[in-house]
Amino acid sequence: MTVKSAPSPWRDPVALLAAPAVIYLLVVYAFPLLWLFMKSLTGPGGLTLQPYVSFLSDPFNWRVVGNTLRVAAWVTVVCFAIGYPAAFALARAGAVLQIVMLVSIILPLSVGAVVKAFAWQIVLRRDGIVSQTLVGLGLWDEPQRLLFTETGLVLGAANIFLPFMILPIYSVVKLIDPRLSEAGATLGATPLYRFTHVTLPLTLPGIVSGVAFVFSMSVSMFVIPSLLIGDRFQTLATLTGRSFLLMRNEQLGSTTAVILLVLAVSIVVGSTWVARRIGGNQA
Amino acid sequence: MNKSKIAVLNRRGILAAAGAATAALAAPRILRAQGKELVVGGAASHKGFVETIIAPVVEKKFSCKVVFEGSRSLVNLEKMQKNKDKQYLSVVMMDDPVMIPAVAEGLLDPLTAAKVPNLAMLKPGTVHMDGMWCNYLQPWLGIAYNPKAMKTAPTSWADAYDPKYKGRVILPSLQNTEGLANLFMAAFLATGKPMPEAQKDIDAGFKKLVTIKPNLLTAYTQMPQAYNLLEQGEGFMISSAISQVALERKAAGAPVEIAVPKEGIFAMPSGVALVKGGPQPELAAGYINEMIGPEVQAKLSAATYSLPTNKDTPVPAGAPTNATMFGIDWKFVADNRADWVKRWDRDMAM
Repeated sequence: MTVKSAPSPWRDPVALLAAPAVIYLLVVYAFPLLWLFMKSLTGPGGLTLQPYVSFLSDPFNWRVVGNTLRVAAWVTVVCFAIGYPAAFALARAGAVLQIVMLVSIILPLSVGAVVKAFAWQIVLRRDGIVSQTLVGLGLWDEPQRLLFTETGLVLGAANIFLPFMILPIYSVVKLIDPRLSEAGATLGATPLYRFTHVTLPLTLPGIVSGVAFVFSMSVSMFVIPSLLIGDRFQTLATLTGRSFLLMRNEQLGSTTAVILLVLAVSIVVGSTWVARRIGGNQA
Repeated sequence: MNKSKIAVLNRRGILAAAGAATAALAAPRILRAQGKELVVGGAASHKGFVETIIAPVVEKKFSCKVVFEGSRSLVNLEKMQKNKDKQYLSVVMMDDPVMIPAVAEGLLDPLTAAKVPNLAMLKPGTVHMDGMWCNYLQPWLGIAYNPKAMKTAPTSWADAYDPKYKGRVILPSLQNTEGLANLFMAAFLATGKPMPEAQKDIDAGFKKLVTIKPNLLTAYTQMPQAYNLLEQGEGFMISSAISQVALERKAAGAPVEIAVPKEGIFAMPSGVALVKGGPQPELAAGYINEMIGPEVQAKLSAATYSLPTNKDTPVPAGAPTNATMFGIDWKFVADNRADWVKRWDRDMAM
């Protein structure tokens, strides 16, 4: 099927509807970003790459980059593992149950991250419910603390970002005709084959946007790590915050911010591209 | 015809209403300008005691109006920087570390005994940089602990290093002002030198401080979280806790006590200074003079669980009376803090 070439956005008046959003983002996002970028490249003697060189030549900073990416990757994996089946349950549920489920996914978004982080503090502490359950089941010999560990951070952050994985996948699953999979079955495809060759490729756009949402939010989270893991685990976002707020070192802050942005954007864009290629090959 | 008339009237009405609204908004300023008015900048948390303890005394004595602008120390510094040619703040109440850049930028006017006679009544070590600012209170740093979790109170700063408290000790981050005490105390414990010297041996301090890592529950940047952990019993002690905060929690019924370690306690910075070129300079000096005078000092130290800086003011009930009080060299801190925080990140990382 060929699509008629769309009219040029310059001639299509509908494109003008995006003008308020474009202007808004230019003013509050693009210009400050450009300022940030310039700040990171300006030294006392004019343009310089020195801030990047000195940042990247310090092994400690590579650990910070590693912390940032590792935690964000785990949060995304956990959100996907929980969110993908949940999105199907949501999409295929009856009308009343679906409303209940949607409300229970969306309502927690109205509770701030700080409140949730405090709640996790209670859940993850030594005499908290997780530790007690694991001891009760005989999996742990004695109560242990999950609070202020990387595992605790990943669990807490995944809880906070989960809706951003479920909702995009749900919106795609909702559009899939369940008969497609049934048709596959009548042709003798195994459930695994039907999943990998029919369902998964069709839900790929939802997965891509869910992963992009969750990854970019968790790579840049600032309040959640400061409450769930504390000052002894630095990420690029906490380092950036501290540079501006405490050390008043705008150059270091803008350098770490630009590095964080470049990493996040290239990973999101790169994985989207890879996912689309795989999806394209299978479809 | 009629329609257009209504429209015209409406437009006039709107203009009139807008004019009235502008006048109403401007009125308080105009009214205030008629009497003497003193604008004081401070931290938001100061608002309560400024308005209930200091302002009534000053307003009665000088028949003026004290207007308090509560924000944060760094915001006050910015307000002075931005209005350097036409200051509107007359007095600033800021943390000592923030006073140093304010002095360096020439934003403060020195306090003299002629302008502020009560200056002579202050304890030694509470007037800084030749009178650029003075301390009006000494909240102090000790060890906060949960008496339900710890049967015996800590008696020494070295207790936080005791292996029996594995995973139970909470420290403030070095980026928090109260966090500096641990670094200096570590140097003091490691070197055995007197505090003014030990405080300069930061390398020894860090070498000792890293040995506390197995005992750490966390290093906090958000203080409410630290008290939350302490009160729940997940943490046993906060090594280096501000008296004011710990005793307020205790007064609210929380299981929190604050211990005075045998080595001594640290004085926290609570500075007040005159803004250079600020309006009403005599009134501003009068405000500071009352603030450090015996009447206000007695009320202020009791209300804030702190030590008075006026040497003739009795120490409020429950406050340590004969503990050694360590001062902090804020200039030295200001010059080196960024490097220390950098080293803290590396050495204290999990």
